[in-house]
Amino acid sequence: MANIAAQRIKREFKEVIKSEEVAKCAIKVELVNDSFTELKGEIAGPPDTPYEGGNFVLEIKVPETYPFNPPKVRFITKIWHPNISSVTGAICLDILKDQWAAAMTLRTVLLSLQALLSAAEPDDPQDAVVAKQYKEQPEMFRQTAKHWTSVYAGGPAKMSDLDDKIRRLTDMGIEEHNARVALSSYNWDLERATEQLFMTVMAKN
Amino acid sequence: MGFEVHRFQGEVDEELLCPICSGVLEEPVQVSDVLQAQLCEHAFCRACINEWINRQPTCPVDRAPITSAQLRPVPRILRNLLARLCIGCDNTIYGCQVVVKLDCLVAHLDECEYNPKRPMPCEQGCGLIIPKDELNGHHCIRELRSLIQSQQQKLTDVKRELGEQQFQINEQKREIHLLKDFMRAMRVSNPAMRAIADQMERDEVVRWSATLPRARVTRWGGMISTPDELLQVKTMIKRTLSEYNCPPHVIDELMENCHERKWPPGLNSLETRQSSRRQYENYICKRVPGKQAVLVLHCDNTHMPEDMMVEPGLVMIFAHGIE
Ligand SMILES: [Zn+2]
Ligand SMILES: [Zn+2]
Ligand SMILES: [Zn+2]
Ligand SMILES: [Zn+2]
Repeated sequence: MANIAAQRIKREFKEVIKSEEVAKCAIKVELVNDSFTELKGEIAGPPDTPYEGGNFVLEIKVPETYPFNPPKVRFITKIWHPNISSVTGAICLDILKDQWAAAMTLRTVLLSLQALLSAAEPDDPQDAVVAKQYKEQPEMFRQTAKHWTSVYAGGPAKMSDLDDKIRRLTDMGIEEHNARVALSSYNWDLERATEQLFMTVMAKN
Repeated sequence: MGFEVHRFQGEVDEELLCPICSGVLEEPVQVSDVLQAQLCEHAFCRACINEWINRQPTCPVDRAPITSAQLRPVPRILRNLLARLCIGCDNTIYGCQVVVKLDCLVAHLDECEYNPKRPMPCEQGCGLIIPKDELNGHHCIRELRSLIQSQQQKLTDVKRELGEQQFQINEQKREIHLLKDFMRAMRVSNPAMRAIADQMERDEVVRWSATLPRARVTRWGGMISTPDELLQVKTMIKRTLSEYNCPPHVIDELMENCHERKWPPGLNSLETRQSSRRQYENYICKRVPGKQAVLVLHCDNTHMPEDMMVEPGLVMIFAHGIE
């Protein structure tokens, strides 16, 4: 790894550790290997959002050319958000692409991602299905995002009606996550979700 | 890339760090316009910001548009702050304990005994200068043999190149010959052409004369008017003129005009010289570098009476007294 990248990451790592956000448990960062090429980040879901109470784990890969190029970041924790792929965790955020600036740090990246959870940008989506729901059925979106936070990020909310619908599908032999994705994508319409699931199964056979 | 912070004694102020590499600023620059007004107050290592601008022409901190032409060294006060920081030697890991002011680091590195790459002369006989850390595995004969080999290779290359150039020169010589013949024929057959050619030759002499330094003759009495015995001196003067780009079409004539029998009436005998001696000071003379001789060119001396000048000029050789 280029000297400059390692020097930067070491320093930024310390910066995050010492930051007041860490003290407030809002962000966290850990080393994955000794060479500072990969780190594990964690951000707390911001208050007054469907992500409140959840902890979201991020994969952070530091390129050889850092800080002249941005780090490659994606969500490991599954999340329901217009700018984050519900499938891969890929993030659509300008500072991780063409708006990156060499003076930005791990801390600014983590805080920007936290801000993204507070204020989505549905007009620049990474996940079209989520973005559509966000715009057309905001309450449905809130419920879904909250549900995902509770299931995958350790959020507090228990939503028994949604859990029931999922159980109906898992009873039919559908894998739980697939059931959740289908229901989330069809605004928790059990019939349409079932239809879609079995259509795919048939297509596969 | 800047200096790593942990190499410094005591705390280093945040202001002195490069926002790109996070090290202490090395060759710091700032963005300002020609009037030296700061466009943004951010300072970076020169290497760091250049690398960034190559990718994106914006300030890495505030994203204001910037160009590499706007980069200027930071104000002296900041440079002084940097110069005063105390830094550990680059060779700390090899055992050097030295801590110097940042502005003395380069000087120390040149003489640091712990520098594994410090150039050392081999004392086993070959006398080659080699990096200290290679002294151990060094073997004089092997080293010299590879040196000979590489030089032989170079020699072969040079010889081949020389042959090629010789060939080209011969080609060109032949062409020049042809051209000269052609020009001579043109001159003879066409009077207008002759006039043009003569003018070109005269202009060339004027241009050449302008490149020569003025000479001052302090003792006109030292003039040698019949240098028949001075064959060697004349050869030397001619060579010097040629080295100093004397136009080839006048060089022989000038050299012939170093004898009183070729001089104008006002100079060509002892008697006439005595009567025109007071006019000598009016001559504009040019130096023949390194020689006790001066050039009196016609083009420089149009103010002189006709019986004191000849075309294209004359050479005066002296026993002494030229400055
Ligand atoms: Zn700036
Ligand atoms: Zn730098
Ligand atoms: Zn040293
Ligand atoms: Zn030797």
